[in-house]
Amino acid sequence: MRDYKPAFFAPEDFAALQSFTEILIPTDDAPGAREAHCAHYIDFLLQASGDVPQTQKAWRDAMTALKDSGFHAADAQGRAALVEAMSKPERDRAATHPAYQAYRLIKQQNTFAFYTSRAGMIEALEYKGNSFNASFPACSHPEHYKL
Amino acid sequence: MAERYDAIVVGSGACGGWAAMALTKAGMKVLLLEAGSPVNPAKDFHHTFLYRMEYRGQSKPGSLRRYSGSERNYRIMLDNLENPYTTAPDTVYNWGRSRALGGRTLHWARASDRMADYEFKAASRDGYGMDWAVSYADMKPYYDRVESFIGVSAAKEGLPQFPDGVFLPPMPLNCAETIFTAACKSLGWSTTPRRLAQLTRMHNNRPPCHYCGNCVNGCDVGAMFNTVAVTLPPALKTGNLEVRTDSVVAQVRMNGENRAQGVTYIERFTMKPVDVDANYVVLAGSTLENTRLLLLSAKGGLANSSGTLGQYMMDQVGGGGVSGILPRLKGGPSRLDDGKSSGITVPNFQNFDKKSENKDFIRGYVINATGGQTEYPQFAASLPGYGSAWKKEVKSRYVAQARVWIAGGEMLARKENFVELDPEVKDHWSIPVLKIHFTHCDNDRKIIADFQQKAEELFRKAGGEVMAGLGRGGPAGFPGAPGSPDVGAQPTAAARGGRGAGGTRALGGSIHEVGTARMSAGPKDGVLTSFCQTHDVGNLYVFGGNAFPSTGDKHPTLTMMALTARGCDHLIEQAKGRKA
Repeated sequence: MRDYKPAFFAPEDFAALQSFTEILIPTDDAPGAREAHCAHYIDFLLQASGDVPQTQKAWRDAMTALKDSGFHAADAQGRAALVEAMSKPERDRAATHPAYQAYRLIKQQNTFAFYTSRAGMIEALEYKGNSFNASFPACSHPEHYKL
Repeated sequence: MAERYDAIVVGSGACGGWAAMALTKAGMKVLLLEAGSPVNPAKDFHHTFLYRMEYRGQSKPGSLRRYSGSERNYRIMLDNLENPYTTAPDTVYNWGRSRALGGRTLHWARASDRMADYEFKAASRDGYGMDWAVSYADMKPYYDRVESFIGVSAAKEGLPQFPDGVFLPPMPLNCAETIFTAACKSLGWSTTPRRLAQLTRMHNNRPPCHYCGNCVNGCDVGAMFNTVAVTLPPALKTGNLEVRTDSVVAQVRMNGENRAQGVTYIERFTMKPVDVDANYVVLAGSTLENTRLLLLSAKGGLANSSGTLGQYMMDQVGGGGVSGILPRLKGGPSRLDDGKSSGITVPNFQNFDKKSENKDFIRGYVINATGGQTEYPQFAASLPGYGSAWKKEVKSRYVAQARVWIAGGEMLARKENFVELDPEVKDHWSIPVLKIHFTHCDNDRKIIADFQQKAEELFRKAGGEVMAGLGRGGPAGFPGAPGSPDVGAQPTAAARGGRGAGGTRALGGSIHEVGTARMSAGPKDGVLTSFCQTHDVGNLYVFGGNAFPSTGDKHPTLTMMALTARGCDHLIEQAKGRKA
């Protein structure tokens, strides 16, 4: 993946997107966006979205907004502060930020890319379905039988 | 000269498959025509993780309009461009359809409930509409026969409004379902595990469910009821069945003696029309397609001396619901909660007798609830925040998800809800398509409003916390399509159950369509007899939801199959009589 050439994003936008997705879903005691290659998957989806020009435009606009916010040029600390600022309207309805829409778009697609990946679904969330089982595990908690 | 059979069965879904089996077992030579392609369950339906598919279970961006399905199940769904339909300006109707050998049995939700006498005789009770031409006593032996053969896992409850049947052991409840059961108990509502045509032990040489949770993408081992695993093999074994797939039936042809001569079908790929003849013609190509064929087969509609063909279309009301989490379950271990793809059922508790009467509306509905881990954390993108803390919160809530949704909300039969042939639009084979006129009445909206109130009451009683981003209640959600609208972090009206939305919003997913050729005691009031034989044409039978004079509050498939089993007995008797 080191020599990956993005098919939809400009190289500098792709680098910024990679960094952004890793701030949103960092690697901690479980894998994160880096291990799940979320930015690569988003790039793949968008190059396949030729029939949905409005989606591609929304992403170009988002990358412009991100760049205008100074994200591309910022160092790690600056980027963390920017994501904090642009995510504020999620928690505070009175707050606004010019890159909030970009934040939402990336977060939404990054969440999809991560939790549909093996790293997100199996390693982080430990999804148990889609498997062969001899029986269905019944609730074994006496306390759940009362309110 | 056209080839000749004892019977032609059009369509291979729940009813067509049963009819093919019943008639061939009785020694009749049968031709089964299916408009879609064959499927190979062991090969086509398998345990595929989202990350093994290019679009993670979605379709290629922008191609969703073509198939109503996804990357996993497009083989068994229908191509919307080849098969258009039109709607009246005030109609919102998203007609969910399949064209494949097995039809919608390949991906149905498997809910199998018997209707009760308070539904068959609803008109006598509350004065609205028309009673069924059958009673529970007429239907019981056929419910028994269908359940015994297909295998229904369920618990006996002894409730008059939710008749018990011939059951395999029920599936156990997961933690969220156990909590919801306790909450229902304290509200004074009965509950039962959802009754499912899904095996809990070996049955008729079919293996039990292995709890992978992939049911609606097609069962690879035939543990759930579908035509290809259950009714087709014994039919083929008789040596009396010929199956032709990719054969699009265009009309029923009549002879000069007011009997059906046979059908004309068009070869799906070559466009070549082919005539086939039979002593009996059975339409079982799904409710609205059956009616479309009758409309196509004679000016003003075949078997329409009553003038009611196409009218009284219904589809159980849906929409609403509550989604969120049960905080008690937060942070628990990951468990196989969605392996049976099911839940609990709260049988209708209103308007089934004097004591349960509700003054605001007539008829009733069924509530379903489930919860726990799902394949994809639908709520995650709407959960405020990011970083490690957000990730931990997602995992903590992931196992505590909970949903309450409506099943079988009764919709009243109204003459002004009808289908007709569109005067202009034709399908890929130049066959005129249906135009659907479909709106809801006040009683329908009151049913949904009452359900919404009760669903929220249940959710609160269980200690639930409503969450954004889960959409309306229902079985485990599918990931939002790439580029789909942002749900945002604030709870939307839809996430809270869609209350307050305008009256034109679709109430439901439109997959329980019934009516349009209702059964009646005499030929003046309906198209079909209680045996689903047309009043006007003695050798023409219509199996599906067409005969329903009312929706009832149960899932319709089991009743459609029981009507088919009963109608086939009648057809076989008729055939014997004519030979003698």
